[in-house]
Amino acid sequence: MSVGTLTKKVLQAALFYEIWDAMKVTFKHMFHRPITFQYPREQRTIPDGHRGALGLLRYGDGRDRCVGCDLCEAACPSRCIKVISQEDPERPLQRFASEFYIDITKCVFCGYCVEACPVNALAMTKMYEYSTHDKRTLLFDKKRLYEVGERHLEDAKKYLYTHNQEKNSDESREYRYYFPQSVLKPTQSQPKHLS
Amino acid sequence: MAQFEDQRTTVYKIDPEHPESETLPTLRTEELLLNMGPQHPSTHGVLKVILELEGERLVKSTPVMGFLHRGVEKLAEEGTYHQFIPHTDRLDYVCAMYNNFAYCRAVEKLMNITVPDRAEYLRTIVAEIQRIIGHQFWLGTQALDIGAMTVFFYCFRDREILLDWFDELCGARLTTSWYRIGGVERDFTPSLFAKLKQFLDYFPPKIDEYVIFLEKNRIWLARTKGVAVISAEDALSFGLSGPTLRGSGVDFDLRKYEPYSAYPKCEFSVPVGKNGDTYDRYWIRVQELYESVKIIRQCLEQIQDGPIMADVPSVTLPPKERVFTNLESMIQQFKLFSQGFNAPPGEIYCGTEAHKGELGFYIVSTGGGKPYRLKIRAPSFIHMGAFDHMSKGYMISDAVTIFGTYDIVMGECDR
Amino acid sequence: MGLKPATNPDVEAATIELSIDGRTVSAKDGVSLYDVIASTGKIIPAMCYHYTFDPFGSCGMCLVMQEGKKAPVRSCTAKAAAGMVIRTEGDDLFAARKKAVEKHLSVHPLDCPVCDADGHCELQDMAFQHGVTNLANAKQKFIPEDTRSLVLDFNMNRCIACAECINVCKDVLMIDALQFMKKGGFNQVVAKGDQPLACEFCGDCLAVCPVGAITNKYSKYLYKPWQMKKTTTTCNYCGDGCQMHLETKDTEVVRVTSPLSWKNKWGDRSETAKGHGGLCVRGRFGFQYIDSQQRLRQPLVRTGDALKETPWLDAMQTVIDQLSDIHRKHGPESIAGLITARCTNEELYLFQKLMRGGLRTNQLDSSARYGHLNYVHAVRHAVGVGRPLNDWEDLTKAKAVLVIGSNITETNPLTAVRIKEAIRVYHAQVIVVDSSNTNIAQLASHPLLVKPGTEALLIDGLVKAVIEQDLVDESSTSQHPQAFAALKQAVAQVSLDEVSRATGVSLEQIREVAAIFAEAPRAVALCAEGIVRRPNGYENVLKLIDLAWVTGKLGQPGSGVTTVTEEVNEQGAIDMGVAPEFLPGQARFDDPGARERFGKAWEVTLPAIGTGANLLEIFTRIQKGQIKALYVIGENPLATLPASMDVRGALDKLQLLIVQDPFLTETGRMAHVVLPAATYAEKDGTFTNLEGKVLRVRQALDQVGESLPDWHIMTALANGLGYEWPYQSPQDVQNEIMKLLPGYYNLGQPRRIAPSPDAYLSNGYSSEVATRYRKRQAMDDSSRPFTLVMGQVLYHSGKMSTQASGLINIEPNNGRIRMNPADVEKLGLTEQSTVRLTSQQASVQAGVKADPDVQAGSCFVPEHFNEPPIKDLMTTEVDAVTGVPYFKSTRVKIEKVGP
Repeated sequence: MSVGTLTKKVLQAALFYEIWDAMKVTFKHMFHRPITFQYPREQRTIPDGHRGALGLLRYGDGRDRCVGCDLCEAACPSRCIKVISQEDPERPLQRFASEFYIDITKCVFCGYCVEACPVNALAMTKMYEYSTHDKRTLLFDKKRLYEVGERHLEDAKKYLYTHNQEKNSDESREYRYYFPQSVLKPTQSQPKHLS
Repeated sequence: MAQFEDQRTTVYKIDPEHPESETLPTLRTEELLLNMGPQHPSTHGVLKVILELEGERLVKSTPVMGFLHRGVEKLAEEGTYHQFIPHTDRLDYVCAMYNNFAYCRAVEKLMNITVPDRAEYLRTIVAEIQRIIGHQFWLGTQALDIGAMTVFFYCFRDREILLDWFDELCGARLTTSWYRIGGVERDFTPSLFAKLKQFLDYFPPKIDEYVIFLEKNRIWLARTKGVAVISAEDALSFGLSGPTLRGSGVDFDLRKYEPYSAYPKCEFSVPVGKNGDTYDRYWIRVQELYESVKIIRQCLEQIQDGPIMADVPSVTLPPKERVFTNLESMIQQFKLFSQGFNAPPGEIYCGTEAHKGELGFYIVSTGGGKPYRLKIRAPSFIHMGAFDHMSKGYMISDAVTIFGTYDIVMGECDR
Repeated sequence: MGLKPATNPDVEAATIELSIDGRTVSAKDGVSLYDVIASTGKIIPAMCYHYTFDPFGSCGMCLVMQEGKKAPVRSCTAKAAAGMVIRTEGDDLFAARKKAVEKHLSVHPLDCPVCDADGHCELQDMAFQHGVTNLANAKQKFIPEDTRSLVLDFNMNRCIACAECINVCKDVLMIDALQFMKKGGFNQVVAKGDQPLACEFCGDCLAVCPVGAITNKYSKYLYKPWQMKKTTTTCNYCGDGCQMHLETKDTEVVRVTSPLSWKNKWGDRSETAKGHGGLCVRGRFGFQYIDSQQRLRQPLVRTGDALKETPWLDAMQTVIDQLSDIHRKHGPESIAGLITARCTNEELYLFQKLMRGGLRTNQLDSSARYGHLNYVHAVRHAVGVGRPLNDWEDLTKAKAVLVIGSNITETNPLTAVRIKEAIRVYHAQVIVVDSSNTNIAQLASHPLLVKPGTEALLIDGLVKAVIEQDLVDESSTSQHPQAFAALKQAVAQVSLDEVSRATGVSLEQIREVAAIFAEAPRAVALCAEGIVRRPNGYENVLKLIDLAWVTGKLGQPGSGVTTVTEEVNEQGAIDMGVAPEFLPGQARFDDPGARERFGKAWEVTLPAIGTGANLLEIFTRIQKGQIKALYVIGENPLATLPASMDVRGALDKLQLLIVQDPFLTETGRMAHVVLPAATYAEKDGTFTNLEGKVLRVRQALDQVGESLPDWHIMTALANGLGYEWPYQSPQDVQNEIMKLLPGYYNLGQPRRIAPSPDAYLSNGYSSEVATRYRKRQAMDDSSRPFTLVMGQVLYHSGKMSTQASGLINIEPNNGRIRMNPADVEKLGLTEQSTVRLTSQQASVQAGVKADPDVQAGSCFVPEHFNEPPIKDLMTTEVDAVTGVPYFKSTRVKIEKVGP
């Protein structure tokens, strides 16, 4: 080792050179724009596929999409969904969910229910701010879920498209579950979506 | 009045040969038991360690685990194979993707499914991103534990970019559940590709930046060099794996020596240490950051168009639009969600090289839609077994370093 | 019926050998190839096959390759023949089966989300298993759902035409209510004649339907299989004690399913002898009372005229204070208790222990007193065994069955299925003696319609005919020549002509039937309400035993005299000693050895011999003022016993009436304290069915409201009275019973019995039999020309089923008596008419319904409803030996009062 390097080393050690080296980096960051932002005054932009609170959807004419098949309940890994189904008193021989609960405190936001739904009645939204003082309000019932679905309909549509649940076209959104047994005439033509 | 010998206080003893020394007190010493945790910021969760101290030296340390036990293995027996994926997110909760990956690989091995090429590349890319996140997280917290706070901020700043990228990919930053048995849930969009490429250009200089803070820092060197040394033989016999094993000079990496997914198609090297101390393990992890970037670049170059899910109707879900209109797809959908696929009876073990070490899933199936038993070989848990051995003789302040050097996450350790 | 079951013991078929997948298998010639393959443990998919009936061959799934044939053959309809070489697996077969599934799928609607069978659907399983994708030419049928039936909906869009429903209805249940009909271009299952379904509603068609084509109206759209908790328990309606699955969601029972379903289609055919696993209408559709709104949810305590809801602690305090007060002041003779035979064995045991060991009174009785005790006393007396001598297997495999005085398809439908099995598979001769044209009579080879009330007389005729025609079994009579001589002498009084005239059965028929019964290698005589609940029931059972003895059927395996019970645990009530004359295990109460044993076990001195009182005696003593407190569990004497007994007056005299019941009954309304009890679905325990099998009852639900299981209430009461009972669960009680009655539970298998009439025949038989065949007073009474019979109907059981809305929906109380159309016409009545029925006791108005199954000169009324109070027309006669009250039949005059 030459004298020069040795001197350099001794000097570096004495002057805490590595600290200055690091301080240089830190000092540079003083001129950066801060990467943090001031929540809740500033909000993060949330991507389309974000798995936030669940909402129930309706068809364009206001009818419930959900037919109460309980598949979301079966698919749920945390058992937070409860569907109570029955025959629709207004439309005989049609099944519907008379009650629908999602215990959002148990929900793990995996999106399996949406994936399972055979009629795309469920979708996740970008809504994530629902903290409350009363834990009981976190048991979302049917009414609340439809409210979420209505208020965040655009998010829901984007979610379904992003996660390959439906095509980004109006035609696929118009898909409607058809009750074969509600046919009244014995020989009725095929419904449009089946042909 | 009876005199009780109180063991906890200083006891004056009389030397029978020198009765005149009666007046001189002799000091009796003994080991001190110290409970560290479960509420301790540097125990990475809720770990309790009973430390036996002789002065400031560690004589024996006994980890007490189970504070974060949630019965994940039992939960697996209650649901279908598919339903367990979100539970794996919560094992090592900072690196959910790799847990998903390891689990799906195990089930695919059980079901004998071949994943399409594109899906393999996507899986490898995301797994390596997860490795970057894991190492960043480790680096940040280890430095913080030892006292270097700035590194923590910088690591988390860059980690944030990747977590947002995950959010865009699958809708969640941590609890991802993006892997599926037989493929992945969703393909990358052009925007994701662009962002990833941008990150790959941005990231390597940032690694150099982290290193500046540590590599020459004499405090860091003093606290890591020669601390928690474990020999290669001991490391092997304790069943260590991952950087913890490679730090001792054992060249073992499942990605290389039992290649899976798209790894065999990528060129990368496995950094191996020499001394088996904390510094070597640190060095390996930093080198792996560079290697991960390399792997991702190669994958992005090689990736071709193609399906992202295996087409095995008895296991994988049908496309949603077919469910709406085709009975057979609807039946498939209902059977898979309500009863799961029918696994053949048998048992398999499948290990995957997560950034912590070998994450293995052992599944016993007796047929039917649910595993009969699922055992998780969690590297954190195995590494904790060597804690006593590795901490013997070090200072009490090193205990924190030694936790950190394993990259321990209690969610995985206690399961 | 060329392909008869392989297990039929009477089928003489050569044993052949054939090769299946390279293995040599031996089988009987002519048996279905599918059965042979199934017997090797290999299961080939088949959607239209079920082991309970013959192969139908419509689904086209059970394909196998036979060497020498080009195309796959259907194994279910193919017969096994010697030297066949069969291959059951292979890619070609898999593809052929897949094609068969595709055929069914291509016309199936997209119904999974709303279908009740989803998740329990064979078509789904098959499609999934065979990996069907990309169906070509899918075309749905569009058939409107048939919702005309009361309990079942038929959605023929989903039907795969497997005909399992039709076959099970026709072959197994022999009801034949369903058929195929070509409608709208498709073969559809419809009720006979495309009418609304009118059958026994057993729902076995629902159980075997592999898809969701037949659905249950009461649980339609309410569930998916994965949401429900399935509890296997024992039905608590009749004595058959069928196993069933209660499927519950939280606090409600959603549906009841049977072990019989398409899922267990590969059962062994020999198993059918032990029951096919189905249920009847009561079990399957009568579950609504469990979570009914009418259930008592809180204890009620009388304050003034009203019953007020009171917390448990206060109510129990009231009971304990008053009961111990009465006990202290008036002694143990002032307390009595009644319990229903719908309670579990453990509860019945605790009840008698509370009465005898705690309160030291032997004044207790159960609802087995209403008839079953007649049979038990008779067989105990004759052969020393106190339970039905034959099990279901004996019935199935019998060559001759004499069903006497039993409308068995209505009272015990599943025992009736055993007899149907005997007719269908074992070609048994079935003789049915009844005063009405019952369903079983319509299936019988020898239906004998006797005049009302003369069933017993026909037994006299049969015994006489056997002796007269010398059909006597020498080996049994020769052992007891004296007894046989006495019998011969006693029977000498009987004139066959008179019997023939009185019963309305021709001489030839009596002789023929007697010969059939005597000559059959295995013959079972089954008697029920028409014998044991009618005057002289005890003696009549003894006469049947005489008949069995002289024909050599007593003590011979597979033959004997048996009975059926109305309530599920009547046998258990007697076995547990809930009768003043019996201690547990049917030890006689006055047997010093047994008294010492139980006294020691309970650490008490038992009540003195001779202080006991049975049902009627209890009411007499209440009237006399000797009994001041009555503890009634689940019984409802006010609604059961006729007004002539003045139960109301008696209950009014009581100082304390405690009623413990799931519902507020008529008796409960008079009570001082009403304690809410849990139903069988809310507790653990065991029932002993009519075969003597001890069957598990398992808790499916939490108790409704604050109701508690009876054992829990009784234990609390006993502890309150200071008896220190340690029972924490029914298991503890069971352990005690096991210690006292070793072998009683016996792993749920009936204990083997070897009836031996030797002691009976050699001791005092001669004097006993001398008066048995005396002539009885003819009941003819010209001023009251009609015989009114109260009895059970298929859709109800006791009073409890009237709380089940599902059964009320099928059979509501229409307040009508059923009469023969000829009588209706003769009296100038229509369906809208009102008539007045006048008996010796009272007069009641009721509506009329024409029913061709009722014999002219008699009328029938279901005993389940008290509106109008037909039971008050009855007089009560008490059996001198057994104390059984007879009040189910009387003579009435019928006059038209309304249009």
